[in-house]
Amino acid sequence: MTAGLRERPAPPVASVALRSLAALEVRRYLRSPLFLIGVGLLVWTTVVAIGDFGQNVGVTDPGDQDFLPAFCLGLLGVFVGHQLTRSLDASEEAIGASPSDGVRRTAALCLACLVPGVVALAWVGWIYAALAVGNIPLSATIGAGARAAMLLSGVVAAVGGPLFGVLVARWVRFPGSPLVAVVVLAGWVLVSTVALALPPSRAGTLLHLSAPLTAWSSADGPRSPAWVAGGSPGWYLGYVLLLCGLAATAALLPSATTPRRGRLLRLLALLGVAALACLTLAVLPDPVRIPL
Amino acid sequence: MNASPTVDLTGITKRYRGTTALSAVDLTLRPGITGLLGPNGAGKTTLLRILATVLDPDAGEVRLLGRAPSGSVPLAEIRRRLGYLPQEMGFPRSFSCFAFIDYMAVLKEWSAPGPRHEEVRRVLDLVDLADVAPKRIRALSGGQRRRVGLAQALLGVPELLLLDEPTTGVDPEQRVSLRQLLSAAGEHSTVLLSTHQTEDVAALCDRVIVLDRGRILHDGGVQELVATAAGRVWLADTPDPGARASWRTGTGKYRNVGTVAPEGSERTDPTLEDAYLLLLGSRASVTEVAA
Repeated sequence: MTAGLRERPAPPVASVALRSLAALEVRRYLRSPLFLIGVGLLVWTTVVAIGDFGQNVGVTDPGDQDFLPAFCLGLLGVFVGHQLTRSLDASEEAIGASPSDGVRRTAALCLACLVPGVVALAWVGWIYAALAVGNIPLSATIGAGARAAMLLSGVVAAVGGPLFGVLVARWVRFPGSPLVAVVVLAGWVLVSTVALALPPSRAGTLLHLSAPLTAWSSADGPRSPAWVAGGSPGWYLGYVLLLCGLAATAALLPSATTPRRGRLLRLLALLGVAALACLTLAVLPDPVRIPL
Repeated sequence: MNASPTVDLTGITKRYRGTTALSAVDLTLRPGITGLLGPNGAGKTTLLRILATVLDPDAGEVRLLGRAPSGSVPLAEIRRRLGYLPQEMGFPRSFSCFAFIDYMAVLKEWSAPGPRHEEVRRVLDLVDLADVAPKRIRALSGGQRRRVGLAQALLGVPELLLLDEPTTGVDPEQRVSLRQLLSAAGEHSTVLLSTHQTEDVAALCDRVIVLDRGRILHDGGVQELVATAAGRVWLADTPDPGARASWRTGTGKYRNVGTVAPEGSERTDPTLEDAYLLLLGSRASVTEVAA
């Protein structure tokens, strides 16, 4: 009771305040049990997958391993992002009286969603290192740039999942909402893969590439030769990156007041148009299936 | 006394689905401790929430710390200088005591970790929770949790401190300790203490506001309110059915609070509680007093 009084700090620059809050959210993300389980799962499945590369067990290209970080970090990340956002609901009133408004708090959470992205980037490095060390021959059908774009779309999905979790937490409030979000996300991806079973067409490519995660190579049967689907992996990467931007901007909206809300809505429209443009460009190449 | 008041409310009205929680409330607060009394549903929490800038009034003008809380910049300016303990404060399950206060300190823009951690330790020390700082909040007792809530409100020595029932669930020893803390805070800050504990108000406040059904019934000195009950409280062997409130005390005598002294009764000094009950009139019940 005798401790001396301490002067309040001078108001920091908004970016400094955001950085401090984001640093705290990053620490919370890193300690999330689901995230740690996801990392463990990613390591284990990657070890298995790398073993398969060497033995030529799979019919698909290593570029299609993007589903590993997308599942282990992205899909589980929906729950992590949601939980981090909602965990402070109990203290909402006290938090609401602090100078850090809802937009700053959500922005800090969105920045923390980069954590699984960093892990997924390291995973990409691991995949390349494993390919180089194992001297594993890769199909020349898929160029180095395209393969990198395929793998990086897994990194983006690892970020997109938790961002989607934050978005859901900010917009809907009912028990089980993150589970519904995961089912919707998985359903979207599943529906898009139906296109791979259909004869190649622009509409089929559009359906295939509209999902936030996609498989690029497949085969018509277990003994059939593998092929790579039509479309541009580079523009697809741009498209999924913009989907992340859309999710983050939409997550900021509920707590924004005018005039900030207006600016966010304009940004949302801009990102939406850009995403559509990227998707169109990704679909533009001829919808042919090239043998691997 | 400051030239401009810390709180200046004019004609504040707030309605919830047809129920008027606050009706044209005018209020000015300056540094010192002001008690806010009133029965359940009187509008105390609504008033505090408006002052804490987490709720907008339907009508009226609010000025806090010399600013109107409209627009993100003035709002942030006000929030930097206020501390708020809500009536029902929950805590995130996984946080330790220290981690939660640290999180709140970051939200209150203590960006540099060194001074921030020092400040967190200071407020935890103020509420006597330094020993349990690493413990999970869910493992703490109700009284300790209340003090965690108070600790976050004290971060950064706020100029306006809004406390909604801070002593709920706190043991008598800790209550005395909190009184010392709040009386020290009242020397440099404007403290508004909403409570059902009239003894806390009597012990701490130089001014008391009694709110009932969204209107201010009394706004003045504590002694001024107590004086209104002088000569209207007595002890007797039997309860007086005509009294505003009547209950058996530990001595076996009945304390009657009312307007007519019965025969053979013994006058006694009124307390703030007596005066409060008389002010509320017939709406105050014996049950409420006993509670």
